[in-house]
Amino acid sequence: MIARAEIWLGTLVEIALPEADASETRFAAAFAAIAHIHRKMNAHDLASDLARITRAAHMRTIVVDAQTYAVLELALALARDTDGAFDPTVAKAAISDDSAPPPIAAPAAGEFASLVILEGDNHVRTTAPIALDLGGIAKGYAVDRAIAALIDSGAGGGVVNAGGDLRAFGSAGWVPVRVRHPANAALAAHLFDVCNVAVATSADYFRADGVLHDPRTGSRRTFGASVTVVAPTCALADALTKVVANDSARAAETLARHGAHAFRLEPCDDSVRATTTCAASTSQLRLAA
Amino acid sequence: MEAGWRIVPLAALAFAPAAYATEYLTVEAAQRAAFPDATAFVPISLALDADQRTRLAAVAQPPGARDPRVWRAMARERQLGAFYADAVIGKQEYIGYALAVDATGHVIRLDVLEYRETHGWEIRNERWRAQFVGKTATDAVEVSRDIANISGATLSCRHVTDGVRRLLALDAMLGRR
Repeated sequence: MIARAEIWLGTLVEIALPEADASETRFAAAFAAIAHIHRKMNAHDLASDLARITRAAHMRTIVVDAQTYAVLELALALARDTDGAFDPTVAKAAISDDSAPPPIAAPAAGEFASLVILEGDNHVRTTAPIALDLGGIAKGYAVDRAIAALIDSGAGGGVVNAGGDLRAFGSAGWVPVRVRHPANAALAAHLFDVCNVAVATSADYFRADGVLHDPRTGSRRTFGASVTVVAPTCALADALTKVVANDSARAAETLARHGAHAFRLEPCDDSVRATTTCAASTSQLRLAA
Repeated sequence: MEAGWRIVPLAALAFAPAAYATEYLTVEAAQRAAFPDATAFVPISLALDADQRTRLAAVAQPPGARDPRVWRAMARERQLGAFYADAVIGKQEYIGYALAVDATGHVIRLDVLEYRETHGWEIRNERWRAQFVGKTATDAVEVSRDIANISGATLSCRHVTDGVRRLLALDAMLGRR
């Protein structure tokens, strides 16, 4: 494999292609697809679609990029499907910790499905001023777009890895995946191999105050565990990690509905307790011995 | 145990240092990509005085920042721009990167040259280290490309952004020569 890396979405994005498929044109096309998602869905960028939604979508219908619209559709479907366990409305949490542009007013958390109205043809309006953070799904979606760009360019296989949200296709074959120790990011264990499928992990290795936002309490919290999801697309894998983190009791059923499997790692005494919804290896997920 | 979940056998959980290193581009390949028309890359030796260093530090102080390597990209007698090779060193990662700037001070491209994930953090943390000694840590410390994909690597690349700001300040300081 020949690999290239660029920095997008706040992380190192690595694209690896088999030697026979590797060309600078293909790398450039895949990185361009990721850069596009970065620009449209970065809430900190005032020109992004997310900032435009916060500024104006409660006053008038606005037209967003087709990719932003697709992510909103997926987010909305997941929010409904999980009764709010996935919810990209972060206005309420953002007020207290300054990590997103200040919203004009704080809606009740978990109201995403009723706040955002998708009118079709890339038209969006909201029923109240809200701040959205698609960080829980956009990184995975960007990986999917890069994979699509590689396929469009005629590549026979490859791996796209955006800071641990990854997807492999075609001649890349079985790709071994290591998952970090939930309490010590310097360690990792080889849990499984994947083939023609996506993987995403959520945890709070690198933030003392926690990265997971619980839509039903509106608070950020430390999680102390990590959740890894294997799913057909990386957007789905990314988003489902939040569903498992927020509602593991009901997650198994949700995961099964989406053809996904989850692994949860929790520090336990001086060891790690690992649980999974995957009963046996499949054609896309091979458990490590 | 919640419905639908089962315990993964402990034997499957062989945690080892996440040592990993990849070189994406050589300095020479990144130079050619940034300045395809260049006929020569002339190394410049940096001789920054105390005042210049203070001004740079005021712009950004990325961890592990040292003096970057600097080249002038030339097309015969004409200067096309400057090429910087630099690195940021985080708690457990090393990112080598290159910044190409045109003759008017605008960024042409930013390339990641190299990424290394060290096990320095684990080695410094004796308590954690003791916990895993004897299990896996002893025999798996060598850097390998065999298992490249580490899920959950949500490293912040903010340090590279700081590094770029510092290089742009340096570029302005060196002037249009």
